[in-house]
Amino acid sequence: MAQPLISVRDLTFSYAGEDRQEGVEGDAPAVLKGISLDVEKGSFVCILGRNGSGKSTLAKLLNMILTPTSGKIFIKGKDVTDPAMTEDDMFEVRRSIGMVFQNPDNQLVATIVEEDVAFGPENLGVPPEEIRKRVDGALAAVGMTEYARHSPHQLSGGQKQRVAIAGIIAMLPDCIIFDESTAMLDPQGRREVMNTIQALNREKGITVLHITHNMDEATLADRVLVIDGGELVLDGTPRQVFSSVRRLRTVGLDVPQVTELFSLLREEGFDLPGDVLSEEEGADLLSRYLKENEKSQ
Amino acid sequence: MKKIELDGVTYRYSPGTPFCKTALDGISVAFEENKITGLIGHTGCGKSTLVQLLNGLLTPTAGTVFLDGEDVNRKGNDMRKLRFRVGLVFQYPEYQLFEETVAEDIAYGPKNMGLDKEEIERRIEMALHFVGLDGSLKKVSPFDLSGGQKRRVAIAGILAMDPEVLILDEPAAGLDPSGREEILGGIRAYQREKKNTVILVSHSMEDMARYADDLVVMREGKLEMQGSCAEVFAQAERLTAVGLDVPQITRLMGALKRRGVPVRTDIFTVEQAKEEILRLTGGPRHA
Repeated sequence: MAQPLISVRDLTFSYAGEDRQEGVEGDAPAVLKGISLDVEKGSFVCILGRNGSGKSTLAKLLNMILTPTSGKIFIKGKDVTDPAMTEDDMFEVRRSIGMVFQNPDNQLVATIVEEDVAFGPENLGVPPEEIRKRVDGALAAVGMTEYARHSPHQLSGGQKQRVAIAGIIAMLPDCIIFDESTAMLDPQGRREVMNTIQALNREKGITVLHITHNMDEATLADRVLVIDGGELVLDGTPRQVFSSVRRLRTVGLDVPQVTELFSLLREEGFDLPGDVLSEEEGADLLSRYLKENEKSQ
Repeated sequence: MKKIELDGVTYRYSPGTPFCKTALDGISVAFEENKITGLIGHTGCGKSTLVQLLNGLLTPTAGTVFLDGEDVNRKGNDMRKLRFRVGLVFQYPEYQLFEETVAEDIAYGPKNMGLDKEEIERRIEMALHFVGLDGSLKKVSPFDLSGGQKRRVAIAGILAMDPEVLILDEPAAGLDPSGREEILGGIRAYQREKKNTVILVSHSMEDMARYADDLVVMREGKLEMQGSCAEVFAQAERLTAVGLDVPQITRLMGALKRRGVPVRTDIFTVEQAKEEILRLTGGPRHA
């Protein structure tokens, strides 16, 4: 089997001694309690979990904003928790694992879109002609080419997030972590960002870790991880994970509305599958079921 | 009955400068008493400007804002009192906490209203109850609480003023599904008991379907649509065209209809969808 892009072994973390972070629940010392997982190159993984479950902490550990209390993290086979890591090694990890945050207004630094996208590669010391190429490529990848010379404050939330994503792409990452990057957007902004994320994953082979509270977005992933109380409690395809309606409710989560409807109809004795995710799939199954039942009556 | 109303309101930021921007463009819309009205629209459509006009934080460039039929910006109107009557909870209100204890923070508004001690105490208890916070937290510093708890304290501070019109801008933003349900469910319980006017701004169509009675849809500073959730969500295409959406369950009903199943398409909650399917099949399938 190919080497996983990211490997996490028995990872624990507590904020004791660290600056307490916004949004971390309670006084529980360990935010992460022994997480182990592998992320394959090119996969699209969604991470779900209630507020304070440890999702964002895990993300910040993966690109070395935080340092683990114990346990190991391997990026492309390299142990990044090794105390012998040099500063250059750390920069390399942060380049290859990019991160896009929640608030579109807190991530843009320049007054012109293309300068903002160039900020990362400039800091990496990329030669100017190469920066030009990367910036153009990154803006094209997120569909923002025509806004290259606009000022970021004139953009919508979805457009700002796409510029933030372009800024990461220009650093040629292997993986991008989206930490609730759609939470503050309106429905159209969400659609724009989710389409961009899917395209980057499929067409450019960028590995995606997407943290969200939106169950519909999670149905688009190859794999869904559910974290609760600092532990990995569910891990599977969206179909497998969302068929556990009751289990998800106990960890403060929900299922897509179509999945919930099918679960309610099953309780009423309807012979329907319990792992339906999308409205088109649901409509196919339900219309066929209703027609067959008409015949038998 | 109409409680608060905008009549032909235009609002321009930085008028007379090259940066002049028309945020509201001659909008007329009324919000009903004893209802939760959801206010939805694309980012930048003027929702935040509109809510700030309702409690006098902004003054219209043209047009009039009426509360109980009276011009809120009339000469000599006490703006302080207006803000006691029209309470506004901003986005991410947890960043506005400042007192030493939860109880003091919640008491800040009622104290400024000049209420007596017992009444303030009663208001604190009432507010804590609706936001689902335990009384034992009263003496705790709000800064020692989790993000979700801080949010509730901030909302409680406005509920304690018992405003006639309560406006909340994305009160559940960034919360997980159970946190959303607790906060929005508490707001609904509060509204059902007080029978006041609540205006809820949110980008989540699912939350709107679950908690709002009526919807107001804005587009580029103008009123696009207004009606019950059923009336508005039945127009899925029009909502998508203005950058919004309908709940997934409404899309399922549309998809069934396109496949020739004679379902109603003005359905917007899972419970309604289940009833509709049961209606079509003549009841449960239990043997």
